[in-house]
Amino acid sequence: MGSALRPPAPRRGRRRFFLWTCFRWCLLLLLLLAGASALVAQERRHTIAFANLTEEPGVTLEGTGFTGREVRESFVLAARRHPIELVFYDNQRDPKKALANAEDAIGRKVDLYIQYFDDPATNARVGERLRAAKIGVLAINTPVPDAPLYTLDNRAAGRIAGEALSEYGVKNWRSAPTIGVVLGNMGSREHRVPERVQGATEGLKRHLPALKISTLDTQGNTAQVATLVGKLLANHPATKVLIAAMDDASALAAKSALDSAGRLHDGAIIGQGVDRSVHGGINDRKEIDPANRGSIVLGSVAFYLDRYGYDVLPIAMRMLRGEAVATRTVTAHRLITAANVFIEYPPNDMN
Amino acid sequence: MRRKALLVATLMLAGLIASAPAALAQTDCTKVVPPSPWGPNDQTGATNRVTPAVTKAAAAEIKDGKVVVMSYPLTDGIPLFGTRFTKTILTATTLAPGGALGENQLTYMEDTWLSQSHVGTHLDGMGHIGRKDCYFNQIAMGKFITQNHMTKLGLEHLKSFATRGVIVDMVKVYQAAGKFKTNAACKKPCIEKGTVITKADIEAGLKMYNVTLREGDILIVHTGWGNLFEQYPAQNAVFNSGEPGIGKEAAKWLVTQKIVAVGSDSWGVEVIPGEDPKEAFIVHNILITDAGIHIIENVRTDLMAAEADQSKRATFFFSMTVPKAVGMTGNFVAIEGIR
Repeated sequence: MGSALRPPAPRRGRRRFFLWTCFRWCLLLLLLLAGASALVAQERRHTIAFANLTEEPGVTLEGTGFTGREVRESFVLAARRHPIELVFYDNQRDPKKALANAEDAIGRKVDLYIQYFDDPATNARVGERLRAAKIGVLAINTPVPDAPLYTLDNRAAGRIAGEALSEYGVKNWRSAPTIGVVLGNMGSREHRVPERVQGATEGLKRHLPALKISTLDTQGNTAQVATLVGKLLANHPATKVLIAAMDDASALAAKSALDSAGRLHDGAIIGQGVDRSVHGGINDRKEIDPANRGSIVLGSVAFYLDRYGYDVLPIAMRMLRGEAVATRTVTAHRLITAANVFIEYPPNDMN
Repeated sequence: MRRKALLVATLMLAGLIASAPAALAQTDCTKVVPPSPWGPNDQTGATNRVTPAVTKAAAAEIKDGKVVVMSYPLTDGIPLFGTRFTKTILTATTLAPGGALGENQLTYMEDTWLSQSHVGTHLDGMGHIGRKDCYFNQIAMGKFITQNHMTKLGLEHLKSFATRGVIVDMVKVYQAAGKFKTNAACKKPCIEKGTVITKADIEAGLKMYNVTLREGDILIVHTGWGNLFEQYPAQNAVFNSGEPGIGKEAAKWLVTQKIVAVGSDSWGVEVIPGEDPKEAFIVHNILITDAGIHIIENVRTDLMAAEADQSKRATFFFSMTVPKAVGMTGNFVAIEGIR
């Protein structure tokens, strides 16, 4: 024990001895209080409700290949890092169901509600009900008034693809006639595809400002890609084609169309989404794979719906701790290529 | 003419010198992997801990001589990943009419066994897992591989595994803690895939049988997931789809316990999907690459877990054969726990 904590000899005065005893008791009490509060903080487990947009099998979200099941699973896995219990709801893309889910969560007295629903009017009503019940809300992709929002940035995602394609064109086809193509379900406002198209168009012109850009609208039918791209190729013989596909299925179909026309060497394609249809494990040999570096599908822009839990739950935890959070947090979209796919999505079949 | 030849030769030499740094480019492994506690020339790793004193102390675990099998059958049809395969071919030509040899009519049979080494109940050696080109003890492996094998860190450098085994029963721990979640495909209780086994869980498992780890031990983690292996080939896809296993915190703690190996009844010992989706088999890095601690996969743990439950004793003599397979990264093993 250090000399500072050694008791003064009683003969030096009762007052000093009394003060020292008080100090010692205070110290002990403080330590006990700190220990108890740490214990309470450690044991406090919050209940967070997550109301998913839809978990209907086969239904894909946000104009990508991801399903609601993958979004939900990301929350289950990410929750392992946090002292929380998760309650799951399926909004089934139905406003009535979305409201009923919120009411159920209020009845359960959850600590926080994460709302993933694409109707602003319903979200406003859900927000009102939860606020009245003093339950915090966090919104995904479609705002809930006065609630923090975690969202995709479709325009940024489109721009990443467009810029990468125009850079590729400049580097590889400097002297060759080149056209740009934006391909996909152009009119899908539900999935904010027009924003993606705008970004892709801006990006394609980044390094090739005079590039002529054609839009090929599949109207949501990927089977149309073969016909649309086939016609375009026939009309542009001896021309290089930079294709910004608005989803991965269209990207793969565009590659197939180029192959059918014997024009693989004339194309470069980038998709959007990066779901498991385009990448996989060590032995899966999917389109984006380190062993497939020569593919004309240069890559795809990641939307990370399969990582929503990892991105959203830390925000939820900060809200529960009473910390300030940004009103809008945006997905960090990234171009995934053969060079970085196993870094970004490490396969777990290599053991 | 001679001048021209000299010029070409000079240019070729200059090109060679210029390309040399790229060709020989390698990571500075002293910045990527810690040094071995057993010195700069060590290629052995944690079996350095199995000293005669450790083996002698472990022998005291043999009380009644009961031998408990801790390996799964090695046969075609067991769970494998991707393009991995096993194929056995029996040579029995002398059994054909007229094929027997000599007056004594000798016949014989032998096998061809085609397989990768990391199949069935198997040991991960020091050369199995690295970070970039850096492996155990800061060895830049790019310089030590041929088309056929490694010239460093092969299994031939390993010492004995004759030490004490300690089993922790995570099924019982999770049941006792009220957090047990199973998988419907398991016919016996198993912990669901993706469950992170923590340091606290392992400590609870040790406390359950009033045992503590000591230097030189081999820790065996029973999760019940191996029941899916036992059902091969019916549940191979479920078995391979993920697994319960130790997390990063537990792995780091096990390093401080100075053990020799960690085994489990799963294909990777560590939790899959991992705690961070952007990390690949990070527990393998923590144990093998950074600490020289072996991982033993697909260990049959249910029989020893039952023994421990019955006798309230979690320790046993760990008997395992590892071939001196020169330059190999791992190999299938036979394990017996002797009580």
